[in-house]
Amino acid sequence: MKRFALAGNPNCGKTTLFNSLTGATAHVGNWPGVTVDKRDGVYKKCAEPVAIVDLPGIYSLSPYTPEEVIARNYILDEKPDCVINIVDATNLERNLYLTTQILEMDVPVVIALNMMDAVERQGDKIDSKELEKRLGVPVIKISALKEQGLAELMDKAFNESKKQRHGSTVLQDTPLAHLIGDVRIALSGQNVGNPLFHAIKLVEGDELEVSMHKETLPMVEEFKETFEDETFGNDFEALVADGRYKYISKYFAPVLTRKSKEKFVSTRSDRADKVLTNRWAGIPIFLVILFLIFHLTFSENFLFISTFAEWAGNPLPSLGDLGLLTEEGDPINYGVRWLATIYDGTIYSPGVIVNNIWNDMMVGELFGWIQGLIEGSGMEAWAVGLLNNGIIEGLGAVLSFLPPILTLFLFFSILEDSGYMARIAFILDRMFRRFGLSGRSFLPMIMGFGCSVPAMINTRTLADDKERTATVRVIPFFSCGAKLPILTAVAGAIILHFTNGNGSADLITYAMYLLGIVVAIVSVLLMRATTLKGETPPFIMELPAYHAPQFKNLMAHLWDKTKHFVKKAFTIILASTILIWVLSHFSFNWKLLDDEQINESILASVSMLFQPLFTPLGFGSQLGEYGWVFVVAAVAGLIAKENVISTFATLGACLMAVLNVADLGGITVDAIYADDSGISAVVAMIAATNITVPGLISFIAFNMTTIPCFAAVGTAKSELGNKKRFNWTLVFWVVASYLVGAIVYTIGSWWWTLFIWLAVVAGVTCLIVLYNKGKIKIKLPKRASR
Amino acid sequence: MLSCLSMGVGEIILTVACAAIVVGVIVGVIIRKKKGKGACCDECGGNCPHCAANRNKNK
Repeated sequence: MKRFALAGNPNCGKTTLFNSLTGATAHVGNWPGVTVDKRDGVYKKCAEPVAIVDLPGIYSLSPYTPEEVIARNYILDEKPDCVINIVDATNLERNLYLTTQILEMDVPVVIALNMMDAVERQGDKIDSKELEKRLGVPVIKISALKEQGLAELMDKAFNESKKQRHGSTVLQDTPLAHLIGDVRIALSGQNVGNPLFHAIKLVEGDELEVSMHKETLPMVEEFKETFEDETFGNDFEALVADGRYKYISKYFAPVLTRKSKEKFVSTRSDRADKVLTNRWAGIPIFLVILFLIFHLTFSENFLFISTFAEWAGNPLPSLGDLGLLTEEGDPINYGVRWLATIYDGTIYSPGVIVNNIWNDMMVGELFGWIQGLIEGSGMEAWAVGLLNNGIIEGLGAVLSFLPPILTLFLFFSILEDSGYMARIAFILDRMFRRFGLSGRSFLPMIMGFGCSVPAMINTRTLADDKERTATVRVIPFFSCGAKLPILTAVAGAIILHFTNGNGSADLITYAMYLLGIVVAIVSVLLMRATTLKGETPPFIMELPAYHAPQFKNLMAHLWDKTKHFVKKAFTIILASTILIWVLSHFSFNWKLLDDEQINESILASVSMLFQPLFTPLGFGSQLGEYGWVFVVAAVAGLIAKENVISTFATLGACLMAVLNVADLGGITVDAIYADDSGISAVVAMIAATNITVPGLISFIAFNMTTIPCFAAVGTAKSELGNKKRFNWTLVFWVVASYLVGAIVYTIGSWWWTLFIWLAVVAGVTCLIVLYNKGKIKIKLPKRASR
Repeated sequence: MLSCLSMGVGEIILTVACAAIVVGVIVGVIIRKKKGKGACCDECGGNCPHCAANRNKNK
């Protein structure tokens, strides 16, 4: 099968073209650096199927970043049958810089002029026929997004792949042309493939080439000693770059005819950026957008309409006030049940409405029906318990969180696809620099709100190794989708149990997200001042043009997320739920226990051993004989964070039996079974253990900052690429979460401990400053290098 | 011992199914790890180029 490689600058539309050609759903984002590794698919509409390889976006073929090395090695070593060079037609000159390097390789090349629709919209024109003549390779106009010109592109590439092509260069008019020619002949004599490309890179002083062609290097060094350029001295890399750009401006740029004769034309994106990336307004606007996202996802008071109505003296009536509920508080008919998903004395936000429909009308109904069937099946009580209270409860609790996770993810995808996410990196760069990171680190961090795994992989776009390590370590502090259920269940239970429903659980959730960000910032500051000291590299990123988010992309993102979530629920979480039920219902002598005998179970016996460890965090020995349930939930979360909520569901029901109360402030055993949010289960756990609010907040903080799930730990291991560094990362996560939990608990319980912690922070800061100034010496373990 | 559980056909099927799920998932995790896919999150549709297994396949 023939293989075509897609190569081009970052954010020029390679992955969009890849998806259009192969029908894949690879992640597409409107910012540079989404693809950090190559991926392949198959195009079936040519004369024969063709393998398509999507390479990461690169600006040159010099080995500055891992992506450039990946792309370069692929073209040189794997020898694709054709390279399709995607050129962003709205940025023609800059994109052709890479083209001039690809043309130096002995490989068939076809140029895909992408985003031609945007060029035409601006009223500009590109003479593709003339460009084709000057480049010496076919040029096809396409729009990857609108899938225009793709068939012609692939047919042309297919035909070109049958031909042989020898590299050509645009440096023939530069003073280095003679040297390049000599080196090329020397390399050809040594049977080196792609001699022109290697010759130019060797002349540039490319470190990979220097190490590979030591015999030919003296030829270049000799020339260097006798050569001196007026502007660049003997900096051959700069000379080569200058030669390329001069040729591009002279011969290629004239094919573009601009509608406006002015040198700079302010586009809509430029005008929007004047506001969105404004020095003073940029960050407040970002915070408002972040708040709006959380409000639209979680708030039960949409746009605060009911609050305003109350202020105006006309509070909105509840369904009960309207006579739409029965005496038991149930909706009087099916229509009212639907209405209750949208309104009940307050209008719900879109995220809450979707959540209510999913949980009340779909999953709740289905699972309720299945549970009824099981109860009526005549099976033994233990089997009914395992199925209903273990498996279905656990799965229901996890699946009920699909809507808020998807809603939150949808909003983040919209920000990403529109191009705003790249702006946030830009506006935060100045702030990040103070913490020892560049704005580029922000993108993987914000991806961490979705899932830590792709976020950690995305750190490959960071050129500095130490910055990368620091970023990988703090990514789990950006609360991922799987941690959301823990936040909402515990926050909801705090409001329900301690304030009788008065207060805002959303506020606690929002505050915990902010706590994660603060812990990340403090950790980075500490690391960059001690073990990962180093210069912060400059932040250079091309800001993409704003565009309306593509429905197809958004749906593809959501579908991937759903698939991943459901698959996880029915594999690892299902297995964990069964295990936890079995371990909590059997004793060591393998005797089946009733719910109220839970303290005799294997799970309780083992967990009690570890319970004292968590005493400084507020959910250890002070919680008495049933306090181990929080330990189990936290440990189960190390496998997958969704396990925490399913553990709540299983253990909460048992604790109701232990409490031996029919009604716990409106919460019954049935309510726990019916409540997929986990709130009722946590209330039962609170009642059984008498855990305090600071203890609960500490529990959330610990779960948010501790070792992430198995998948994220595995990714960190492969991304850090060094066992020692990985082991220190694990230690860092454990210490950070323990400290954060202890600080939250002690300050929450005894406010005056704030001063002790402040004194500790001041002391540590002084020590770091003195150490950095060389006034004190501490023997640190040798840092391993990558 | 387990004999304390009363087992009809339904209960036996349930026990076997649960055991199969737990063992299946554990074995699956071990196989994935051996294949180098331990860190694969399936976020990208199960064909993650970052998985060591796929990287080896592409080499």
